[in-house]
Amino acid sequence: MPISRRDFMKRSLAAGIAGAGVMLNSSSSFAARHDPVGEAQADFFKKFEGNVLLLPGKYNGTVSALDLAVPETLAWFNYGLTGVNMPIPHHIAAMPSADPYKGFDFYQTMQPPMSPYVNENSPEWRDRGDFKMFKMRFDGSGKQNSITVVNDVAATTGMALGVHVSIGVGENANKYVAFADGQKDMVLITTIDDNPKIVKALRVDYDPIARQVNVSHVFPDPATGKFDFQGRKGMKTSHEAMLGEELMPADPTAVFVDAFTWHPTLPLGAILIRRLGCCAIIDTRTWEVKALLSTAKGSPDNFPLVKQQGFTWTFAVPSVLTPLHEAGFLPSGEYFVACNNVLQNNIAVYRATDPNPLKWKKEAFVEGFGNKYLPLHMGNVPDSRWAYFTMWARKPNNGYIAKVDTKSWQVVHKWDTGPDPHTCDCTVDGKYMTTVYSGNQGGQSGLVVLNVDTDKIEARLPSAAGHHDHVVVPKDWEGMKASRSTSV
Amino acid sequence: MNRDIQLQRPAWLGMRRSQLAAALAALGLTISCALPAHADSKDGTFPTAEQVGGEVYQAPLKIGSILPTDFEAYDSQAKKVDFGTVIHGKRSLVVFFISAVPVSVNELKRIEEFVDKNAAKVNLVFVNADTVGVALEGGPQKAISSTASTVRLIAKEHGLKRPMYVAPNDALSPTGLSNRLAFRGLPTSYLVSDKGAIEKIFVGPQQWKKGDI
Repeated sequence: MPISRRDFMKRSLAAGIAGAGVMLNSSSSFAARHDPVGEAQADFFKKFEGNVLLLPGKYNGTVSALDLAVPETLAWFNYGLTGVNMPIPHHIAAMPSADPYKGFDFYQTMQPPMSPYVNENSPEWRDRGDFKMFKMRFDGSGKQNSITVVNDVAATTGMALGVHVSIGVGENANKYVAFADGQKDMVLITTIDDNPKIVKALRVDYDPIARQVNVSHVFPDPATGKFDFQGRKGMKTSHEAMLGEELMPADPTAVFVDAFTWHPTLPLGAILIRRLGCCAIIDTRTWEVKALLSTAKGSPDNFPLVKQQGFTWTFAVPSVLTPLHEAGFLPSGEYFVACNNVLQNNIAVYRATDPNPLKWKKEAFVEGFGNKYLPLHMGNVPDSRWAYFTMWARKPNNGYIAKVDTKSWQVVHKWDTGPDPHTCDCTVDGKYMTTVYSGNQGGQSGLVVLNVDTDKIEARLPSAAGHHDHVVVPKDWEGMKASRSTSV
Repeated sequence: MNRDIQLQRPAWLGMRRSQLAAALAALGLTISCALPAHADSKDGTFPTAEQVGGEVYQAPLKIGSILPTDFEAYDSQAKKVDFGTVIHGKRSLVVFFISAVPVSVNELKRIEEFVDKNAAKVNLVFVNADTVGVALEGGPQKAISSTASTVRLIAKEHGLKRPMYVAPNDALSPTGLSNRLAFRGLPTSYLVSDKGAIEKIFVGPQQWKKGDI
């Protein structure tokens, strides 16, 4: 239909006035945080005020910051901008922030694309992706939010690790961050400043003939002050053992180190060793290995130290009754719990209050998961009343989230949140548990919010990013104890 | 654990239905959402310890026992083969490796050179003891062809002359290759007599010396 210049001007003016009216009603249109007042869902979501979630997208290469109280994405960043071809943002941890809408720092690890999703050794894939650790920053102080790289920690230290990252708490608060990797079987501890310094590195190796585990300190080249483990260097296996794949054939020395979790009240931390079903307890004042816990039901509480020679501690591991996946502490520090899986699907509960971890005893097991559901990740609440666990399953099963009473150590509720469930992390007030599912990096995926008191599913938000991990930005160092530091 | 036990038909095959029913019943108590069906995969059961040798690291196959050869195998062109005929009547060194383990791939050329120099009459065969990841690249039907392609690439890049095979493995199945042959670390090499009996087992890379084979 033809339109005259005069009509066009009139209609444009009318549209402009109408548009301005909408903007006036929504006073924050030009702010970096949207105010949803008057919108249909505003009253429903406002109960999540104060919660910013970081959501790494495993096969979409991004990280995004979600304002759960609107909800909207505050900012997002594609790691391809760092020069990584086919970035795989893997695990994440956030530093505390009193006002996460204004800003906070976080850490992101990255690993190359690999099995079971792609043939990582084919010419099409073998040079794509990278092992990386980045210190990142969200800035919400202006009118355009942003996420930027603060430090390429792998380049700074010379060691690139691609699995869990966890930030020190308790006696280690505001000091350290730990990175781990199960393809290189190494852990790196650095300071948390913008130009991080190497504090300590450890490596774990299995001797299949002697049936022993060696935990060793690893030192940087004194000439450069750096390690020589960037990229794929130091890799024992070209893909991480997928969930439940701890029995897969691998390098004979492989143990599948997964994470370092921090004791909330004692100067101790735990190296989680998947394949061997054990956890090395480290004194974070000296970085000496104090004990090797054996978490399987029917095994001793710990494996005996055979010898210490220089900076290597050798433990006898005559029998491995089951692998494990994750293990961590309750925020109270009272218990250390370990998710045994594949051959035993149970959760071992150690009392962890004694400063000497050789005295830690298994007091209970959470059981009843059958032979299809693997205890995997752990989510804490600030008052330690409950612990949440991801019960992962292979296709065609979805898996589920289990809520466990930490007095009786019984499962008190289960939710089938969706296929391929991953991490759990509570909101800053401890009222809600957030959890993600990824649809095996191709199917149904999203974020689910559970009510901790009523057990109701409060909200479900879609996501096409295939989240393998996520974190709620804690508000202070005390809140970090319920974040992804004590558990992963 | 001896080989005879490994070759038994696993009890779980007969128990699956009851276990499934028990698991579903237990879940049904509290899970409100129905599980969706995925027709293209197995039922997702994990083995018990007893079904895979009692623990993570099994006792190795016994010296003198017969090396099982009735596992699924393909040549480097992805053509199905009867692996028994590959070593039948020949004193052989069967080297299991996987493309995902650099130390196992790097050992192949060293073994080949050692055998050529010190035991040229030994029938040396390399077996990639798994298939590669293809979940986002066409799914299971691509597994054999993609793995064979990777095996050919390894042979070319490492200058290997001996035949190479692909043997799919399911580490979570009691009848999976790695559970039947009791290996977790690769390379693992079995020196077998012309009658198929195991003479020696070598786990991991070796400092090969005359007389080893």
